[in-house]
This record gives sequence, structure tokens and C-alpha cells, in this order.
Amino acid sequence: MPPRHYTELQLDALQELASIGSGTAATALAQLLGRPVDITVPRARALGLADAVDAAGAPEEQVASALMGVGGDLEAVVLLLFPSADEATICGLLGVEADTDVGDSALGEIANILGASALGALAKMTELALEPRPPAVIHDMLGAIVASVLAETAGDVDVALMLDAELSIAGAPCSVSFMLLPTAGAVDELLARLGLDR
Amino acid sequence: MGELAASATPDEELVSIGLGSCVGVALLDAVNGVAGLAHVMLPEANAAYSAPAKFADRAIPTLIAATERLGAVRDRLEAVLIGGAQMFGKTGTARANGAGTLDLGARNEAAVREALAREQISIRAAATGGSRGRTVRVCAVPALVGVKEAGGVEVELWGTAPGALAAEGEAA
Repeated sequence: MPPRHYTELQLDALQELASIGSGTAATALAQLLGRPVDITVPRARALGLADAVDAAGAPEEQVASALMGVGGDLEAVVLLLFPSADEATICGLLGVEADTDVGDSALGEIANILGASALGALAKMTELALEPRPPAVIHDMLGAIVASVLAETAGDVDVALMLDAELSIAGAPCSVSFMLLPTAGAVDELLARLGLDR
Repeated sequence: MGELAASATPDEELVSIGLGSCVGVALLDAVNGVAGLAHVMLPEANAAYSAPAKFADRAIPTLIAATERLGAVRDRLEAVLIGGAQMFGKTGTARANGAGTLDLGARNEAAVREALAREQISIRAAATGGSRGRTVRVCAVPALVGVKEAGGVEVELWGTAPGALAAEGEAA
């Protein structure tokens, strides 16, 4: 199956959701850290599963990740990826030590705040009730994390939709990948709410 | 992800990087020098179409056929399993949807073991479970399977030429 499952128009609309979601998340991160945050390339991409894992970054890279399940009217996962060096930087900005219980709980809190604000914006736009679930923080290979999330969200479907952006923190060489990975059924629901189902 | 490959080329490596809850299944015929590797994502299929190795129940027969096409003898095939970790800790799932403990890694491993038992293929070694992602490298000639956990070093999990991997590591 070629990874072309959505029309251009649908992808444009989903891209708009990615922009709004990541824009809101960037604002929340800027408030949390007290410094400006730039957003690079918010995108909506429909990719084959293996390509989606590759698109997230070098699969063997050791990263920290904070993920938050989303329930309510649709099922999705909000995934934040911090390369190891950037995890240390961002924890430093928050005054905690990386890769400790306190550091992990800070990353979980970032996922909470960014995830909840992005979901709030999407909920307003689509009139869907979106409920954030408690975050989890794990340190592992990037590929293992992304593939394990996709195994749950993609299910029977071989195409994954990824709404993602890079959030770069001004004045610190540090960036966070912000991703929303809806389940296959959730994408249909999103498109229906935007009046773009077929 | 959801893909499979087979090889009978000396020193060629089949690799799956970053197996989390997914299970890597290696099949080897060490005598004829054939190896195959499948990257299984989910226990069982309920879709008409899927990538060839996505579901355990379909992946095993497809992987057997792929190794046979390169000259493997069915009765000589031996299996090595890698992966099936519980990546998301106590919540059990990335979605944390409270639907009980859905340990996808353990379910994948159980489904692969069942599919191999159905085909009467023995499992010679396994690096499964736990909570860390893994990378697997499989080579047909010399027959060996190496595994590396996240943040760890590569170790030889199974092989007919002991120390082959260590020697390679020293050279590099």
C-alpha cells in the first residue's frame, strides 16, 4: 500500500491543525521557561510505518521522551522527544538534574503542559472533547520508542499520520520534537469534524 | 517495521534497529548458510492487507518461505527471538487508556512463540521482555545473531562461530 491515503486538501487541513497545536505548545513552553521558543516546520505527514520511524530521527539515538495518552472523543498519543544533550539543557533551565527522578518528573510536566495546551487549541477548533492522560517518561532508543507508540496507534493500518514540529529554545542550543500521533480512527474523526471526510 | 528479509550472502547483515514492543524473529539454517529476519509489530492480523511481517501469525510462514527460497531446509531452521519489551512501564500502554495492562511486547512474544510451535521450529535463544529497546544483527554466514540493548554494548546471542562478533569488534 503506498503511503498516500489522504488527499492534498485533507493533508493541508491537518497541517493547519499541526501549526495551531505546535504553536500553542511553543507558547506554553516559552512561558514555562521564560524565554522565546521558535517553531520549525510544523508538518502533517502520512507515512508508511517504517518511514514514520525514520522521519522521527536516527533510530538508534539514545533519547529522553515524555508521552501522554489522549482519550475522550478520539485516541492519540502526544510524544515529546529530547536528544540526550538537550534533555540536560532543558532540565538545567528548569533547575533540575537530568536523568534523575526529579528531572524525569520535570519532563513529564513539560509533556503535561505542552500536551494540554495543544489539545485545548485542537479541541476548540474541532469541537471534540480531548482528555489528556497522565504522562510517562522513558529513556531509550528513539526507534524503539516511536515504533512502540506507532504499533499501538496504527493498529491494522499501515499508514501513520504524524503532526509534528521542532521547538527550538532561543539562547540555548536546545530543541524538542513535538508530535501528535492519532490512531487511524481518530484521523477520520478529525477530518469529519473539519468537514473533509468523503 | 512490519518488514522481513532473508540472506544467504557471506558477511551480509540483516538489521532491525530499535525493537521496542516489536519482536525480531531470526530464522537460521546454519548448515546451508541461510538466515531471515522479520520485524513483527502486532500479535495477529484482522486486516485483509498488511505489510508482510507486521502480524506474528502471518509473518512466520512468510519468513519460512523466504528462507526456503534461498536454500534453507525447513527441518533445520532454528529461531532466535529479540524484543518484546514493555516500553511504557506501569501504564502498560503509550495511550495509558486504563484498559487493563495491555503489555503489547509480551503479547507479541507469546504470539510469535505460538506461531513457531505451530511450525515445529525450536527457539535456540531469546533476548526478550524487560523494558529496554534492542537492536539485532543477523548474519547467515557465519551464522550468528548479535543483540544490543539501549545504552549497552553488542553481545552475541547465538552463533555457530563463537567469538566471531568479539573478534569483529576488536578489529573495528
